[in-house]
Amino acid sequence: MVLAIVVGLAGAGTVLDAWSLLHRVTRDEYLATNPASATLRVDSVDASLLDSARAIPSVRDVEARRTVLAGVRVQGAWDTGLLYASNDLGNRRIGVLAPQEGQWPPADGAFVIERSSVTFAGAAVGDSVLVRIGKGAEVRLPVTGIVRDQGLAPGWMDHVVYGFVTPATLAKLGAPSSLNELRITVRDRSLDRAAIRRVANDVRALAVRLGHEVPSVDVPVPGRHVHAAQMDSLLMIMGAFGVLALCMSGFLVVNLVTAMLTGQLREIGVMKALGARPGQLAALYLAFALALGVVASAIAIPLAAYAGRAYASFAATMLNFDVDGHAIPRFALVLQLLAGLLLPVLAAAVPVVRGSNVSVATLLRDTGIGGVTAPWIQRIRGTQRPLLFSLRNAFRRRWRTALTLVTLASGGAAFLGALDLRASIRDSVGSLFDNVLRFDMAVRLDSPHDADSIADVTSRVPGVEIAEEWGSVRATQAGAGEQGAPFAISVIPAHERLVTAPIARGRWMGDGDAAEIVVNTRMLEEQPELAVGTSVDLAIGGRISRWAVVGSVESAIPQPTAFVTRGALERVAGDARATTVLIRASNRDPDARYALAGRVRDALEAAGFAVGSSELSQVNRRAIEDHLLMVGAFLLAMAQLTIVVGALALGATMSLAVQERTREIGVLRAIGATPGAIVTMVQVEGLLIGVLSWLIAIPLSLPVSALLARAFGKIMLPVTPTLIPGRFAVAVWLAVVVIASLVACAWPALRATRIPTVSAIAYE
Amino acid sequence: MQSDILISLRGVDKSYAIHSGSFTALRGVTLDIARGEFIGVVGQSGSGKSTLLNLLSGIDRASAGEVFVDGVALHAMREREIARWRGRSVGIVFQFFQLLPTLTAIENVMLPMDLCARWRARDREDRARALLDRLGVADQAFKLPATLSGGQQQRVAIARALANEPAVLLADEPTGNLDSHNAANILELFAELAQQGQTIVAATHDAGVHRVCTRTVTIADGQITEQVASYA
Repeated sequence: MVLAIVVGLAGAGTVLDAWSLLHRVTRDEYLATNPASATLRVDSVDASLLDSARAIPSVRDVEARRTVLAGVRVQGAWDTGLLYASNDLGNRRIGVLAPQEGQWPPADGAFVIERSSVTFAGAAVGDSVLVRIGKGAEVRLPVTGIVRDQGLAPGWMDHVVYGFVTPATLAKLGAPSSLNELRITVRDRSLDRAAIRRVANDVRALAVRLGHEVPSVDVPVPGRHVHAAQMDSLLMIMGAFGVLALCMSGFLVVNLVTAMLTGQLREIGVMKALGARPGQLAALYLAFALALGVVASAIAIPLAAYAGRAYASFAATMLNFDVDGHAIPRFALVLQLLAGLLLPVLAAAVPVVRGSNVSVATLLRDTGIGGVTAPWIQRIRGTQRPLLFSLRNAFRRRWRTALTLVTLASGGAAFLGALDLRASIRDSVGSLFDNVLRFDMAVRLDSPHDADSIADVTSRVPGVEIAEEWGSVRATQAGAGEQGAPFAISVIPAHERLVTAPIARGRWMGDGDAAEIVVNTRMLEEQPELAVGTSVDLAIGGRISRWAVVGSVESAIPQPTAFVTRGALERVAGDARATTVLIRASNRDPDARYALAGRVRDALEAAGFAVGSSELSQVNRRAIEDHLLMVGAFLLAMAQLTIVVGALALGATMSLAVQERTREIGVLRAIGATPGAIVTMVQVEGLLIGVLSWLIAIPLSLPVSALLARAFGKIMLPVTPTLIPGRFAVAVWLAVVVIASLVACAWPALRATRIPTVSAIAYE
Repeated sequence: MQSDILISLRGVDKSYAIHSGSFTALRGVTLDIARGEFIGVVGQSGSGKSTLLNLLSGIDRASAGEVFVDGVALHAMREREIARWRGRSVGIVFQFFQLLPTLTAIENVMLPMDLCARWRARDREDRARALLDRLGVADQAFKLPATLSGGQQQRVAIARALANEPAVLLADEPTGNLDSHNAANILELFAELAQQGQTIVAATHDAGVHRVCTRTVTIADGQITEQVASYA
């Protein structure tokens, strides 16, 4: 019994520990890096600007940096690299970096890689990476160190190689060595986003007064990591699993303690006959239940701490955090201790009170055979008696059976939900690449170019079926002389065919050059002012223009995005050059697409367009699927844990049933039941409960699927839950539940055959 | 062994290991029981009556000696074989009836038939009805045991014990939980069954057994001290 309570408590404790540890780490570690309150992009930062900004009373600190988009050669192909350069990397005070290995700060000409990019880049300390900026030369930089920046999204997940270099290294790569980002922290940490924006605008006004250009001001939500929403969703899912596991272990404990006390009714009767008062009996059994809780907690809490830490460590890696050096919050341990101590006592309270109030005669008269089944089960006839016996026995202790069913079905619902999520991920990724992102490759240029000039080149490359030139600009809502949060706008051709996001509301933009904008639903969540039907003033490239929001599209990706036509942007802003070419190949064979990517690159390079990177959709699709399915597998592992707890509950229930029916089993043996027949009866009873939980779990999985899909959509990729579990998932769950039932009932069944008939039917 | 001898015990001992050493429940018991006999086994509590019945049913094994029932040497059989043999050859009636509470009266009677498959599946219900009718409780066939009186439950229990047409009916204190009226009825019923050829061994405290059984066997301290033919 202690073992069963331990597993239940440890299961719930693991999730609770992992949840609380992640919650603490993601909040504390991020704040400990002293993240920037605002980032201003300026033409160039000089000492005068830095000193003047520092002198503003509401500004606590100011630092300068430059972020450069680069191409980094990864496993034979050019991938996206982001290089961060500043003068004194070793003493960075804003967005503090944590050196992990090798040299820090980097020397001139050296490359220190961010930890989360190491695997993706396939480069460790002692290796080198080939880097290219724009049309600059390809330069091989030695990787001299590894550093961790918790403010960045994981590089392996975003397919970006993050590197830290000195301004001199930038110059070696052909990029300007001056710094162009002003990162500030505010003195009053309690300020909200609007107040910080006012401080940032003061800095902006100062820069303008000093003769600088300030194209954008970015004010993130204070204290919120760039992936805070994802973390919250992940934590919410984990929290939900934790509550589920705790409830399940609660049911398990209630079942166990109730049954234990029910089996001791005769002993209670004897003690009452000897003069024990109800209060004394209650104290005796409650103390026993408490002792059970103490022993179980002493084993379960350390076990949960170990497993929870390992689990949190794995989850934290996905978000570029580290749990090392952080203790599990005390409240989580206290909560487990309370649950471990109180659950058995609370579970014992009802049967103890009931047993204490039953008359001595009734307690002593107990012949060991009693209890009837539910009337509706009683009405089932027309089959072999041993099967009827198993069927009716399954519902003899209805409350206990109900708890077991709830426990097992909850695990099943979580399992089916996780399987459904996995299927939804595959479907959504498939749909994303087949129906929404209908291009085979994306070729990114190092700098913006005239779209028609690019089209002249790509249209002549053999094997190109469709080529579209896309651009990207950053915009902010303009109002009250201040700048809002910037967002990305995709600049697309008027007759765009390669990206077809479903319209959620309103319509797509017209073919002309009217100032019309379409936003995705994720953008609407972040900037509700951009509602369909409204007109907004946007600051794009330093010019303010009015745009009509004519429609919204379903978000195919979790990032907020908006779309305008090239014609409209050109008319309004005067510049609508393209930076990316999306291409659909006429031959869809994977090898042919790979070869085409090389031909397009070569043709563009030959025409003088420096190519930053090229991505094949098939590679992206596989990488995205792998990463997303890993999260699905992660959830599946949690669901499997709940099934283990459920199976344990079933095993405990059957074990107790066998214990309670010792005499019945003796009678069955006496009237000719062979050990095989007894095993079959016990196994069939367990199997009936298992199969029933299988049925209950199917409808129960619908809200679970919806919840998981919603949370997952926020974390990774919007997915549409299929809701109706697939045949495969249902069949797998049936197989799992059958195996779990057989395994869980194996020991009780074996025990039933070992009950000596002579002692089972003895009265004394 | 003569063919009319159904049960034969030869020098049977039964000892149990207890904390203080061992306890001998039966010592050197030798007993023959002919077919159709109704044996009343009497004696004080703890004298060894129940142990004797357990040895005859194969529920317990002799520590020494030989036990033959209907030509079968129980002392030499394996546990699995004994279970199957017991279902077909022995009917047991308990003091507290021990009907399975989730099965109706008729289902309780059909259960041993299902377990031993001695009767064809389609014949089992008819046979169960006939047995209940024979014992005067046919009208209770579809009721649960909890809704029957003690006397009715014991009749159903006897019907269950007769389900597989056993060679011997063993009853351990069959009247111990009944009022005097019902107890007398059950003993009369046993007498009737014996007259119809059923071999019965009943361990009892009931003094009335003398009046209905063919022979009374008295046990004291694990030994047979007296055998009296009480019914011609």
